[in-house]
Amino acid sequence: MIVNKSRALAALVVLGGIAATPALAADGKALFTDKGCTACHGEDAKTPLEAGYPKLAGQNATYMVNQMKDIKAGKRANGLSPDTMKPILEEVSEEEMQALADYLASLGPIAGKGDSAHPGKKLYMTKTCIACHGKDGTKPIMKTYPFLAGQDKDYLIRQATDIKTSTRNHGLTNSMQPVMHLVTDEELAQIADFLANVK
Amino acid sequence: MKTIFKAMAVALVATAALSTAAIAGPKDKPAQGKLLGDKDYQWNANGGEKDEAEHLKPDLKNGRDVYEVCAACHLPEGWGQTDGTFPQLAGQHPKVIIKQLADIRALNRDNPTMYPFALPDQIGGPQSIADVAAYIQKLKMNPEPGVGPGTDLEHGKKLYQDNCVRCHGQHGEGDNEKYYPRLEGQHYNYLMRQYQWIKEGKRRNANPDMVKQIQGFTDKDTSAVLDYVSRIKPPADKIGPKGWENPDFQ
Repeated sequence: MIVNKSRALAALVVLGGIAATPALAADGKALFTDKGCTACHGEDAKTPLEAGYPKLAGQNATYMVNQMKDIKAGKRANGLSPDTMKPILEEVSEEEMQALADYLASLGPIAGKGDSAHPGKKLYMTKTCIACHGKDGTKPIMKTYPFLAGQDKDYLIRQATDIKTSTRNHGLTNSMQPVMHLVTDEELAQIADFLANVK
Repeated sequence: MKTIFKAMAVALVATAALSTAAIAGPKDKPAQGKLLGDKDYQWNANGGEKDEAEHLKPDLKNGRDVYEVCAACHLPEGWGQTDGTFPQLAGQHPKVIIKQLADIRALNRDNPTMYPFALPDQIGGPQSIADVAAYIQKLKMNPEPGVGPGTDLEHGKKLYQDNCVRCHGQHGEGDNEKYYPRLEGQHYNYLMRQYQWIKEGKRRNANPDMVKQIQGFTDKDTSAVLDYVSRIKPPADKIGPKGWENPDFQ
């Protein structure tokens, strides 16, 4: 009976762990500091250390988990991913990634309105960016697609360029790569400037 | 002891609820069928939504509403992009649209860019597929599709007569009943891309007869025959005026 009781208790502990998923938001916050993420992405996850680093606050959790997994696995290997992010992610488990992503997503929502007179606005619409990332970059149609509104301008340019040249070629970049020839470098800079200033 | 069992029961119910929710999602998505390269793959045998949609009576008004999603890339006129990024849809046979749309959302034809837009939560079920296919067929076609270099058209014409007419028709008009697409007036670069993917086996819903038929084509042959096809003028009553803008989306 005692054995049975402790078995039941052990099962409860496991089930309790599953049921308590929402409480992981707290763990995610601690992890964000403990794993050193704040150093580059900022205490509030939206004040990156330098231009070219992404803001993370409010981003889609599923998107972020996929990025962390792919960087750790060496599949996303453009820009700072292999040398800066990968060594840090080596020490982060998938459960921790999920907790981090849930915490960061909870810092949203990413909302706002773009400047309709900005030349990048029209390009954002005619180059088909809007179809997937939604109005002013605030409504990605899939949880696996990123918000773009308010993102760091240099980061947007770097990523879109790397996707265009297949330097970044993992995961769902294959849905974006085929349309990138529609956009010149100058047009991309305008689109990025428009998106970075969505407030 | 009693408390423990109660707690366990609650936890079990909660877990069961979680797993049910996790299973419910994929059910909404059409199931993938057999693909080119799979054992016993048979072209056009995947059934599913295609069979359902082609027997439904289309509602053009809803077709217009569904088409709004498509218009972001294929343009309100259905003319696509002359550089071939997006194909012309206007005037295409309904059964061709139904089959391809059903195939794309069942992942029988890989199209990562279009995939999310084809899903039921974006455009609806089989009725919507039937509706949008009927709407697309009625759109007048692009009077100035993208064409090839125009340097080898006689050779292209001969190749077309010898290899393509049997299925795609004398005039590239295709065949609705057989799901063969209308090719006349399609953008050259789009034709080139799909043709290449069919030849390499990358287009996994391809007709194996066509895969075989075109294996011997050189790059020069390919360019010549598709250039010829892109320049075939569709019947006058199917072509829209230059600069036409679709009033449904003004």
